[in-house]
Amino acid sequence: MRHTIRYFRINQSARTRNCRVMFRAQSKKSDSVNSELFQFSTTTVLLLMVAFYGGTYLLSRRIKHDANDADGFMVSNHRIGFGMGAASMTATWVWAASFYAAATSGYTYGVSGPLHYGFWGALMILFIYPFGRRFRELAPNAATLGELIHARHGASSQLILAFSNLLGSVISLMVNLTAAGALVSVLSPLSFQAGIVIAGLGVLSYTFYSGFRASVFTDFAQLIAMMAIAVVIIPAVLFAMGGPSVVVDNLSNLTSEQANLFSKEAFLHQGAPYFVAVLAYAIGNQTISQRLFAVDESHIKPTFITATISYGAIVIGLGMIGLMALTVGIEPLDGNMNNLIPQMVSTYLPPFFIGLFFILVIGSLSSTADSDLSALSAIMMADVYGKNIAKNRADPRKMLIIGRTTMIVATVLGMILASMSFDILVMLVFVGALWGAIVFPVIASCFWDRVTNAAFTWAVVAALLAFSVVRFELLPMTGALALGMELLAAIGAGVVAGLMTFGFFGKRLGVLAFFIATAVIGWIGAGQLREYTVLLSSLTAYGVSTLVCIAISLASSERFDFDTIQQRVSDYNKPAEDDVPEGTLTAR
Amino acid sequence: MQTLIYGSYILIWPILTLVMLGLIVSAVLRDTREARRNGNELV
Repeated sequence: MRHTIRYFRINQSARTRNCRVMFRAQSKKSDSVNSELFQFSTTTVLLLMVAFYGGTYLLSRRIKHDANDADGFMVSNHRIGFGMGAASMTATWVWAASFYAAATSGYTYGVSGPLHYGFWGALMILFIYPFGRRFRELAPNAATLGELIHARHGASSQLILAFSNLLGSVISLMVNLTAAGALVSVLSPLSFQAGIVIAGLGVLSYTFYSGFRASVFTDFAQLIAMMAIAVVIIPAVLFAMGGPSVVVDNLSNLTSEQANLFSKEAFLHQGAPYFVAVLAYAIGNQTISQRLFAVDESHIKPTFITATISYGAIVIGLGMIGLMALTVGIEPLDGNMNNLIPQMVSTYLPPFFIGLFFILVIGSLSSTADSDLSALSAIMMADVYGKNIAKNRADPRKMLIIGRTTMIVATVLGMILASMSFDILVMLVFVGALWGAIVFPVIASCFWDRVTNAAFTWAVVAALLAFSVVRFELLPMTGALALGMELLAAIGAGVVAGLMTFGFFGKRLGVLAFFIATAVIGWIGAGQLREYTVLLSSLTAYGVSTLVCIAISLASSERFDFDTIQQRVSDYNKPAEDDVPEGTLTAR
Repeated sequence: MQTLIYGSYILIWPILTLVMLGLIVSAVLRDTREARRNGNELV
């Protein structure tokens, strides 16, 4: 999370200024070997973008339309094949920030840096798989995870989840449009705002009619382009700068930590905070759960494994460009790490490759942005309208109108926020906390029949309060309070380890992992964790939400019958047969 | 030897990407054939 925040901070505070500085810097020669960035003409960039978005739009028109198919608009037919599912999952998870952040990690932490970004990011996909199978088993016809939680608990828990999903997707959309503006303004005379508007309208154009189906279909073409370009660009940069021998000859430019594959510094500053966020990202991100509900159930496992490896290979590979830049002593232009890859490509490769890089970034940000639009529309259609306004008597035609209107509103909002360089740091911190706070209640609700709506809701509220106290230092983190928070954080670390182990190896090993991790982190972290505010606050959110959720659940004698979920979450194209009042519980 | 190790460490990722690219393309072709045979849409 911290790493992502760092990326956003760099991106938010410096992007427009830096882009313009870079643009001006193109005519200058500085002392470093990489002071010049190639620049396309306005016509070339417009042609590239028209070709990309025009081609994608034409592809999307090949999808047959059914004017009343609300389910198809949200999750296709629940039978997407392995190939399309894996391609879409990978394309969605790879966004523009992936390249920049992986290269930054390689440049900052050296040999192990790209691994500490790409590996943990890839694991986010893998770790939702065991839980995803349970979600799918409970609610095979769901379009969103919120629908499942609505059937399990009722409106308040569902709306907490839906709200966190909405915020996450709006932020993601804004960041991807920002990346488009930055790229266009860096590599052409066009303005930052022009790039945002072209990308926003381009993505909306091909997603508007078919929604999720267009997103998945075009994801495949975009991913193929991205992978093919990554396969070419990484060795091209390596051999253009002189091959592996140049890297080895310049290893003296690295510190001992940077040269160490098992760098403790890289793990503690990059890998560990990311590792903590793994489950939060996977649970809090509707784009992933939407694909989970869309893929043919028999293909869930190979789809997730393939997406994990593909994401890791692409992102770690492009992160190696940051490592190469470090070894040959490249200085990022204007100190902005986001410039590293464009600089390396500009310095060592001819304009054709810069065009490829341009398509690579546009493809990655567009595939994620279209997934965000699809996710936002599904949340508004199913979670807000379907479950809370129409109360399971939803009209598919109205749902489609709501979905498409959501896309337009979200695109306009994303373009405005991106153009204004709106500071999203506080919002991002809040979303991260919210995602961390809901992880245990969501997962426990799907496996343990004693979790109640009150337990879910109060667990999230208490975790957010505890998070705020630590993260924003509302109270001085000293003495008994700091120690108490560190112990809660140790429990949070145990929860993360326990849930991950539980997902793959079952309850017994999960509980064992919880106790071991809690004891180890409690022993090491007491007196130490208070120095790492971001890590402490995130882990505290996990720990508090777990303790509150368990305590309130144990105080209740209610039991939930999981079989009722499938009856309550049905397709929208046909009316729900069961209209059981929300959150109905049975006493044993 | 060090050159070989570092070269492999950097180049293994594009090679792995290429392998996954081949796997995904072949899987999509299989999905397409199956969808045509069953008269279904691909997505």
